[in-house]
Amino acid sequence: MFGNFSRRSLLGGIGAAAMAAGLAACGGETSTGSSSSASGSAAGGAGVELTYMFRGGEDERKAYDQAIAAFEKQTGAKVKVIVTDADQYRTKLQAAITGNQVPDVFYLEQGSVMAFAKNGIVKNITPDIEAAGLDIDRVWKYGVDSYRFDGDQVGQGDIYGLPKDVGPFSFGYNKTMLEAAGIPLPDKDKPYTWAEFREVAKQLTKDEQWGTGLNVVWNLQAWVWSNGADWADEERRTVTVDTPEFAEALQDFADIQLVDKSTPSVEQAQTMDTYQRWMRGQIGFFPVGPWDVSTYRELDFEWDLIPWPVGKTGETATWLGSLGISVSNKTKHPELATQLAMFLSADEETQRSLYKAGVQIPNLVDMAEGEYLDDELAPANKEEFVQIARDYGRALPAAETWSPEWYDDFWIDIQQVLDGKVTAADWLAQVQPRMQQKLDQANMAAGR
Amino acid sequence: MSATTAPAAPAARAATASPPSPPSKRKSKLYRRENLVAAAFIALPLVGFLTFAIGPFLYSIYASFTNWNMLSSPTWIGLANYRQAFGDPYFRTSLFNTFFYMIGIPIGLALSLTLALAMNRRMPGQSFFRAIYYVPVVSSLAAVSILWQWAYNGDFGLVNQALELIGVDGPNWLMNVSTVKPALIIMAIWKGLGYSMLLYLAALQSVPRSLYEAAELDGASSMKRFWHITLPMVQPVTFFLVVTNIIAGSQIFTEINIMTPTGGPEFSSASVVWYIWRQAFSNLQMGYASAMAVLLGILVFLITAFQFWLNARNAHEGVD
Repeated sequence: MFGNFSRRSLLGGIGAAAMAAGLAACGGETSTGSSSSASGSAAGGAGVELTYMFRGGEDERKAYDQAIAAFEKQTGAKVKVIVTDADQYRTKLQAAITGNQVPDVFYLEQGSVMAFAKNGIVKNITPDIEAAGLDIDRVWKYGVDSYRFDGDQVGQGDIYGLPKDVGPFSFGYNKTMLEAAGIPLPDKDKPYTWAEFREVAKQLTKDEQWGTGLNVVWNLQAWVWSNGADWADEERRTVTVDTPEFAEALQDFADIQLVDKSTPSVEQAQTMDTYQRWMRGQIGFFPVGPWDVSTYRELDFEWDLIPWPVGKTGETATWLGSLGISVSNKTKHPELATQLAMFLSADEETQRSLYKAGVQIPNLVDMAEGEYLDDELAPANKEEFVQIARDYGRALPAAETWSPEWYDDFWIDIQQVLDGKVTAADWLAQVQPRMQQKLDQANMAAGR
Repeated sequence: MSATTAPAAPAARAATASPPSPPSKRKSKLYRRENLVAAAFIALPLVGFLTFAIGPFLYSIYASFTNWNMLSSPTWIGLANYRQAFGDPYFRTSLFNTFFYMIGIPIGLALSLTLALAMNRRMPGQSFFRAIYYVPVVSSLAAVSILWQWAYNGDFGLVNQALELIGVDGPNWLMNVSTVKPALIIMAIWKGLGYSMLLYLAALQSVPRSLYEAAELDGASSMKRFWHITLPMVQPVTFFLVVTNIIAGSQIFTEINIMTPTGGPEFSSASVVWYIWRQAFSNLQMGYASAMAVLLGILVFLITAFQFWLNARNAHEGVD
């Protein structure tokens, strides 16, 4: 029963566990390691009001409204929902924390896990998850690990949140355009090499049509990682952008425009223009995230997913984002709040309506590998999303550090390289000390 | 009736004879009651001011001496934040950018005075134009920023389309290091024009006609009349506008954050307040952000004090 995440059994399981925890508490044992009261048991949610703060678009809100209504019906609890737009979320949450008004359940960015866990803002929900007997293996390992923290590093240790989603950043191509140009379609299992990719992009480029148009901030990762380089070492102590592999990747990325002229223009890579042009069918290759799918399904050309072009490792690479759902350490109803977090993260019906709406892939591995892949809606190669989530997606470099400042610094004047004013290698040598100083500061602030 | 309200009469009486004590007591009682009522009236805004302005102000001074991430309690670190600010190239750049934006202030004032002069004449559609120029002032800055962001788009933007008509190939305004600040200045001028114009218009209308008539009789040219009558007569408004514009300009944030959310190409549009906000809310450095805010506050205070001093000196010279 506990191995199944159907709505009824999920709630039943948590309720039973919470009651067990309550009984244990009465016996003087706090087996859950959390609150010793049983007030939050699933059946006894009546009269309790939880606050839930999140951000999201229309489709997401709709899916979560349904989920919350179901949660309220089954627990008797009331959930007060606070929604903000994406820009304001962080500021609003900080204000709530400073004002000692932390919502019971709220979204937590990957990059905030360390700071929030260390300062005791979010609750360690490992015991509750274990007590509820929830089969955490059904949720993407990456998704759960993103909210683990062992006191020093993110990715291991206790669980401080559950994934609201995982966001595989995949690569797409305009099938209609390639067919019209008489170019053989790319193999979904065998990635292009950089050279092959640039050749195809060049062939596609003609007056109002370009091979690609990639925003450096979100697309360079695929180049850097597949060439065996990274922004920092695994421990996140040393900035490693000054390696030859890194320089080679950045230079190749820049040369798509500088040498080949296969993108609209360098400046436009940072605006929405290439996105607009992709949607108008003027661009051959463009990144696709699950959140784009609902919009892209309306496009009047055919498109599909492929692995990212590969550098010298021969392994395709990209980033996998995530947003978490955490429970406040100060909540008066820890069991019920944790239950809500689990419900939002792993309830089958909610997950189904979210993937059907084309805003995310299911959080549940078996659902993603089963009914999601069988679903007939575009893209055809949904497998690529699943592979990124399961096999090769990586966290963005700043997701595991105290603050993103060191990583943000990288992008500030990268335009010089893209404009060809300075070579990648020279620029990287100059930016490394700057970033290192900020990373040192961040690690110091984290007490590492 | 006039005797009881005019302050001169009792004062004159008091000077001639020693005041009898009973009436004085009665009066002070009355005054006291009035004072209490008055105090009650101002208490509400005063409490608001203390709670929402002075309180946070003092707290941010304290916070500037601490290491505070807004998640745990602040810890005292003395002057470390200030030392960091002086060595921080981004702080310097953002200060430079902020003061660069102020180039727009004299331009805006000159334009709005010109407009006010035009609007001050009798012409058809006068109130229509006055309203039109005032519309940007009452529009939401966030909405206006988004509109200008579109207008400045390198490909489809209105600005470049207009430039194309006269054969100029416009730049990608907000993505280019050398055009992003001018672009923001142009927008700020446009946004503030109506407000300054309205104040100038009021000032122009209060200039006594007789001055112009006298000057005309003396054969002063219209240029001379402008330089020696109009400009000095609207000087208090100019002073007010310069002071308030500099204070407001040093806090420029919304349009920067909306139009160039990453601080612009190579940090070229980031303002101080934008950088402070980013340090506080993205990088968990509220202590450092507070220190920069205090430095900015001191700087603005010094500039304003200097302006008052300059104004007082000029006024004095004018009398001489």
